[in-house]
Amino acid sequence: MQILRNVFRRKLRVFLTIFGITIGVLALVVMGSMAEKINLLVAGGTRYYSDKVTVSAAGMSSMFSSSLLSVGKRDEIKAVPGVAEVSAQIGTLLDPDGGASFGMPPMLMGGDMRGEDLESFKISYAQGRKLTPQDTGSVVVGADLVKRLSAKVGGSVTIRGEQYKVVGIADKTLTAPDSSVWMTLPDAQKIFMQDVPEMVRNQIDQSAVATSFVVYPTAGTDPETLAADINAAVSGVKATGPSAFQKEIANTTQIFNLILYGIAIISLVVGGLSVINTMTISVSERTREIGVRKAIGASDGQIVRQFLAEASMIGLIGGVSGLAIGWIAVTLVNKALESTNINLFLVTPRLAIGSVVFAVVLGLVSGLYPSLHAARMQPVAALRYE
Amino acid sequence: MSTLIKGVNIHKRYVMSKDNYVDALQGASVEIQQGEMVAVMGPSGSGKSTLLHILGCLDSLNSGEVWLDGRRVDVLTGRDLTRLRRNEVGFIFQTFNLVPSLTALENVALAAHYAGKGKRASDEDAKEALAQVGLSDRHKHRPNELSGGQQQRVAIARALVNKPKVIFGDEPTGNLDSASSEEIVARMHRINRDTGTTFVLVTHDAGVAQTCDRVVHMLDGRVS
Repeated sequence: MQILRNVFRRKLRVFLTIFGITIGVLALVVMGSMAEKINLLVAGGTRYYSDKVTVSAAGMSSMFSSSLLSVGKRDEIKAVPGVAEVSAQIGTLLDPDGGASFGMPPMLMGGDMRGEDLESFKISYAQGRKLTPQDTGSVVVGADLVKRLSAKVGGSVTIRGEQYKVVGIADKTLTAPDSSVWMTLPDAQKIFMQDVPEMVRNQIDQSAVATSFVVYPTAGTDPETLAADINAAVSGVKATGPSAFQKEIANTTQIFNLILYGIAIISLVVGGLSVINTMTISVSERTREIGVRKAIGASDGQIVRQFLAEASMIGLIGGVSGLAIGWIAVTLVNKALESTNINLFLVTPRLAIGSVVFAVVLGLVSGLYPSLHAARMQPVAALRYE
Repeated sequence: MSTLIKGVNIHKRYVMSKDNYVDALQGASVEIQQGEMVAVMGPSGSGKSTLLHILGCLDSLNSGEVWLDGRRVDVLTGRDLTRLRRNEVGFIFQTFNLVPSLTALENVALAAHYAGKGKRASDEDAKEALAQVGLSDRHKHRPNELSGGQQQRVAIARALVNKPKVIFGDEPTGNLDSASSEEIVARMHRINRDTGTTFVLVTHDAGVAQTCDRVVHMLDGRVS
């Protein structure tokens, strides 16, 4: 309590200093929550791709291609030694004209569900059950799309003008599946064909269409080596191992992280400088008081502790209010963007605790010089100070 | 009566810059007995306050010796000096020097806290000290809610709380009207009589000096 009273002796000045820290922490929370969201997305992807090989049509650089493959290739791939199972997949945008979006766009995923028991990336269900190959006309909805599609288990959702029955709603995974809708391969093939130009459409067999294969290696087979083996053995496809995801996605997000955190740290350093300024002024204003305290028996350590407590209190108040404002701000923005399915921010516990701890440490470090300066004063010199 | 404080041939020079210095004390010697109430008088610049600060271990000296209760204290440093200020001496200043953000009780308890007492013990001792100066009804008042005389009484309580052997007063009545001044002097006399605490008071006020057991006169940095 005495610390608080001392801190608020010069209300406007302390308010401005706290405000400086608040803005710094606010920047850290907003920028950090953006980075955390992307990090989790990437971490989920890294985990998903870590033990499997993805096969797409040759000539496409990315694993997110929507170029055509023939389901017939499955048998060729399966024949490669080290392959345990091959699953044909259709992945396409939920909205064909959804435009650019930040992070993952909502996806429509269809699969033949082969090798499900080999899948290490397990999804649990908040409601309902998982999809089976017999569930034609039914879908499972990812957590972030529930509101947008007004999905209810037992109810139906409209996708591309058609009604589908909802059999399950997935738990939040904090990564790509949150913004996906799953359906059976035949349903997905039908939707996919609508996007194919009419001239091409007539020449392909709808039931043989896939955009990618997920290849599960046998136990003990390195997915990277298997990808190379598939590329050598099967023509017209491009197999990629886990490192491709790392290269394409994870590394670029690191630069993004650095920029985001860089901006936040700079604003905090400015806040820290204003704590040094405030505490230095406070110490010189209270020189007489320091002299009195020493005259009545305060040790150097007790003086240092007092001023450090005041400086870290400024950091704490600034940190907590920055976190609170930041949290409210990102929650509101997320809420406002919910219908467009853009989920920009995620305040993780480590970000919340980390930013407050950082603010307190900043206060402590900034208060160190003024506190030591205060403690080293000679009592009489301090008492004579006018 | 035994000697409580002894200053022997004290010299003190304040250096402002290379060629600018003041010899505040030039061989001052003084002896103060246990339980005495002594006034120190002299014209401005005669070294009264400097002597008081050096005897009270708030300031260092250039040469000479200071003894307190049979122990040489001018050679002490750091922690020993802090311990001595906590337990053996108390100070009262002309401008009261209370911490403005703290209540009367907290100001007094602060000295007890610095001396290592816990919160409860500090508060109890502070209440007792405030009772001794007749301010039991002013615990929760901040300095700016108290009159000058009341503030000085809080300061006396603060000096008294750790039961020191001696209390040094640097013009303790210098900022008070005559009624408050008389009241403060009477309080100090009563404490001196009841507890045997020694008082050394620097003062310009001949009326205050008159009430003391003895007057030490200073001139040009020496005791005359």
